[in-house]
Amino acid sequence: MPQVLDTLDLAFEVNGDAVSVKVPPGATLLDALRDALELTGTKLGCGEGECGACSVLLDGRVVNSCLVLAAECAGAKIVTIEGLAANGKLHAIQQAFVDQGAIQCGFCTPGMIMATHALLADNPTPSEADAKRALEGNLCRCTGYRKILDAVLSLANGGVAHD
Amino acid sequence: MTVIQEYLAPRTLEELTRLVGDGEAAIYAGGTDLGPRWNKDVVEKPATVIDVKAIAELHGVRVDGEEVVIGACTLMSQIEADPMLRKSAGALAPAAGRVACPQIRNRATIGGNLCNASPAADTAVPLILLDAEVELASVGDDGVVRRRVPITEFFTGPGSTCRKPGEVLTCVRFKPLPDTTSCAWDKFGTRPAMEIAVASVGVMLEQADGVVKRARVGYGSVAPTPLRGHKAEAELAGKRLTAEVIERVTAAARDEINPISDVRAGAEYRRTVIGVMLGRMLNDAAGA
Repeated sequence: MPQVLDTLDLAFEVNGDAVSVKVPPGATLLDALRDALELTGTKLGCGEGECGACSVLLDGRVVNSCLVLAAECAGAKIVTIEGLAANGKLHAIQQAFVDQGAIQCGFCTPGMIMATHALLADNPTPSEADAKRALEGNLCRCTGYRKILDAVLSLANGGVAHD
Repeated sequence: MTVIQEYLAPRTLEELTRLVGDGEAAIYAGGTDLGPRWNKDVVEKPATVIDVKAIAELHGVRVDGEEVVIGACTLMSQIEADPMLRKSAGALAPAAGRVACPQIRNRATIGGNLCNASPAADTAVPLILLDAEVELASVGDDGVVRRRVPITEFFTGPGSTCRKPGEVLTCVRFKPLPDTTSCAWDKFGTRPAMEIAVASVGVMLEQADGVVKRARVGYGSVAPTPLRGHKAEAELAGKRLTAEVIERVTAAARDEINPISDVRAGAEYRRTVIGVMLGRMLNDAAGA
């Protein structure tokens, strides 16, 4: 019989910092971020991959952190909403969401911004159709989609440089 | 409520097949089907999770002799973007691009899509059009034993396949479609994204001088398993795509499927949708 483990010691990188956490083998990446690392910007919405509120970048790809086991993230690079602002200044995507009023209750916003981040890294000049497709896995229960798309497209039209 | 007690990530296929053993452990790849069920306590969590993603040979697209091989852990987003698959795998790359949303396409694997065995699996019908086979591996006396199963025989019912306890799906294999063929595939749902198909249909045609030399038809979400359309194919063989022929083909399609009524659509509606979608595809092919 293989050894039965109560907790795993995991080392990975979050927002550029090397971190280590102790979590149960069944913990999700979202559990590790919120409970072990107290990075609560990433939200638990549906817990089944429908809403996108838990979106983070895992080795550069946008994923639902509620459907990723923490155990498989050993050695991975993770970026959460907390990793975007730098030197007290909002990231261009965050600023665009503020400027366009693309925030109502704010619960979906971290996920929307991480999905937008993934889109712009891949395609700096998305069309509205591209933006809709990139955000198709993110639900806004306030239904503020028009302003969210406006925020994404304000970045796409060359107004703000994307890092 | 059970808890996951152990996470294993073997690095070789041989190690994996030894660990899988009696099939009690969960074989875990993208987690997009297992994760929601575990999070919502729809199923008992397994004591042991075996993550298959650390095994290099299960990843990526390659050519092996006359065949294209897609490793079981290849992501939907990778299949969608792969230049070789976009050229020679008919509807597979576009169908992979229609799965759920970016977050899911960046995690969901083709092996998981098939082993989950939903009648609505988006990659299944495109693979029927390719006459693909899946490769299953298990541990034998002298190491890994592999067998191949045609995609149409792999599915045995909703959520079930002919994969035995102790077997793992390693790859999908098919011969690339020649340039003389054309493929169409579509799924229908209430929104373009995040949709489990109400019905899906695909058709592969090889035409010469306006006559169908070879045809394959497949259906999703309208039978206990993804289904090959033998009757529709028989109506297409050797024919020109006239309005009359297209009517006979779509009638055969409506006749040979076996849909149910459920929360997403009624059986009769599914029959109608299949006929309409297939008719449009054949009309497009006739005009091409």
